[in-house]
Amino acid sequence: MTQVLDGVQRSTVPVKLFITAGIVFLIFFILPFLVGVFQTALISKLLLFGALAISLDLVWGFTGILSFAHGVFFTLGGYAMAYYLKLNLAAANNNYGGELPDFMVWNGLEQLPWFIAPLKFLPIAILAMVLVPAAFAYIIGWFIFRSKVSGVYITIITLAISSALTTLFISQQAYTGGTNGITDVAILSLAGIDITDINLYWVILIFTTLVLAGSWWLTKSNLGLILRSINENERRISYLGYDVASFKIFIWTLSAAIAGIAGGLFVPLNRFISPVYLAVAFGTQVVIWVAIGGRGTLVGPLIAALLLGQVQNSAERVTQDWQLIVGVLLLVVVLFLPKGLMGLVPERIGFNKLLESPTPNPSAGYVRAGLLDWFTPLQGALRSMQGWFSKDRDR
Amino acid sequence: MLGFNSIQAHIFYLAQEATAATDATGGADFYTFANQLLNGVGIVGVLLLTGLGLAITFGVMRIINLAHGEFIMLGAYVTFLMQSLFQMDLLLTIPFAFLGTALIGALTELTVIRRLYGRPLETLLATWGLSIVIQGVVKLIFSAQLKYVKSPPYISGNLSVITGQDGTPLVSISYYRMFIIAVALLMLGITLYLLYQTPLGRQVRAVAQNREMAKCLGVNTSLIDLLTFAYGCGLAGIAGAVISSLKSVSPPMGQDYLVDAWMVVVTGGVDKLIGVLAGSFLIGEANAAIAFMLNDPVARVIVLAAVIVLIRYRPEGLFTVQKRA
Repeated sequence: MTQVLDGVQRSTVPVKLFITAGIVFLIFFILPFLVGVFQTALISKLLLFGALAISLDLVWGFTGILSFAHGVFFTLGGYAMAYYLKLNLAAANNNYGGELPDFMVWNGLEQLPWFIAPLKFLPIAILAMVLVPAAFAYIIGWFIFRSKVSGVYITIITLAISSALTTLFISQQAYTGGTNGITDVAILSLAGIDITDINLYWVILIFTTLVLAGSWWLTKSNLGLILRSINENERRISYLGYDVASFKIFIWTLSAAIAGIAGGLFVPLNRFISPVYLAVAFGTQVVIWVAIGGRGTLVGPLIAALLLGQVQNSAERVTQDWQLIVGVLLLVVVLFLPKGLMGLVPERIGFNKLLESPTPNPSAGYVRAGLLDWFTPLQGALRSMQGWFSKDRDR
Repeated sequence: MLGFNSIQAHIFYLAQEATAATDATGGADFYTFANQLLNGVGIVGVLLLTGLGLAITFGVMRIINLAHGEFIMLGAYVTFLMQSLFQMDLLLTIPFAFLGTALIGALTELTVIRRLYGRPLETLLATWGLSIVIQGVVKLIFSAQLKYVKSPPYISGNLSVITGQDGTPLVSISYYRMFIIAVALLMLGITLYLLYQTPLGRQVRAVAQNREMAKCLGVNTSLIDLLTFAYGCGLAGIAGAVISSLKSVSPPMGQDYLVDAWMVVVTGGVDKLIGVLAGSFLIGEANAAIAFMLNDPVARVIVLAAVIVLIRYRPEGLFTVQKRA
């Protein structure tokens, strides 16, 4: 009898997980009514940082690519949104003559640059918010993953990218607003109705939930299996006939797109974006969330971002040396808790148990593989396009 | 609200940093360009000093030390301490800066680095944590205020290379820049001597080439690691002591030098130490030349982009002999 029950339980979806997740979601959903306005804004912000951390966890925790450039993708998405809001504000009350944002006027720009002008329209801005970081990531990924460059060097490259872009954005003051970034943006409004903070909170909550659920589904799929095997033994998985670089590029681009959306949602909330979020310091902050939360756990980085943000918020009132605590925590985690704080949760009651998917149904694999095949023609087309430019790329 | 607004974006323009006290009233483009190139030479000295320690630890131990900037900062603080406590001359503080940072480096190796061997990414994270901790502790002790270090009076002023007819210097370089280069080259020489002419250096090279084999032949690899890391940190300390009087001394100052030092190391490669010299020369001069033609930020972006492309095609660095796998 137990065996039968066991079998039934195994063949179904992880019910426990869904119930737990549902309860947590509901708690978060009604949270704005329980906490104040300030906390609502703070939690929205932390949820976005959590989504950013999850996106890094996809490439680092699962695929083993440590990136300091996720702040860059986040900020690129943020700038797309900021331009949209700024341009609409400028159109509404044109203090500075015409539709030009103030910082462009101050820097002597007379016309809206052609590459910023289309961002005035929301659909284009939303597209740019996803596509600009994704395209940038795709180019970088295509450039570095199809080479013999490995682990540590990739990290150094991401450091250099972050450093270079920070310099670039600060120096192009007329286009980016320089060190101040884009401030005083309009309130996001859809069809003439202003989006309030609480609505924004729900949008962000749903977005983060979708990111978490999607990432979980992705890592449980065959694709996730391949990604994890790349992390563990890249050479072996390439001997098995998988094109490792394609998988890396795919997950890298996807993760950048998630980061970009998070950045885009961040701007209406934060009301400004600046090169601070491009800098290496913010990129490292994301890495720290993932490291402390636990690599490859998805939930861990989200919880770490939420908790550390809250602790920081209260600690900063008392002491200026909050960063010191983070540093010590990071050292302790790296030295003694390779799985992060999620490794502390006992196995018996832990998320690990909840996350345990039932024994996979052999036929289910085909369904998932089918979705993966969906991407394959795209990859194939792209690869043949690459073939136009380089002759000897036979593998 | 949340602390990121307080995280300052530390932007560091190499060419700006080297402000030779010349006015380019000569007007002629040639003189400006020559000045710029000489500025570049000044940058090369700083890059060489900061990159050298990094190259040694990376070359021998294969660890990514993101706390290198903080060791530079520590060296600068040792100099500041010595100056404010004993009114010591900057030159005299250099040995203390070396010893102080080397000691802290050795402690670090014993407590942190040693536990993470063979896991480069973990070491990278740990050293980043370490850099935050060191910054935090220094901030606790010395506060976040900027400190200033006096440079010795006998190496101030500029050496005029080309003087105009009315006696105004058209192309000149400050003596302090030349002093930095001299120290950098001296440290390079000492390091080369230690590596290639002493029994200890032979052991270090053996460990760098083949750790297991060296161990089998009786080399005490953990001692070598300890010494190497301490020495690398000591070099960072010297860099800090020498650089301290160029700008102010503050807890986050090391961050400015970290990315550039790494770019030097990956450009030159760690196989031969001379690669570090070549790497810093390339980056410093390219920066100065491009900054002359365009401007500082663009120069930095172009140089960083070039380094990224370089890593892509030659991750082992430009000046490395192809090794058999």
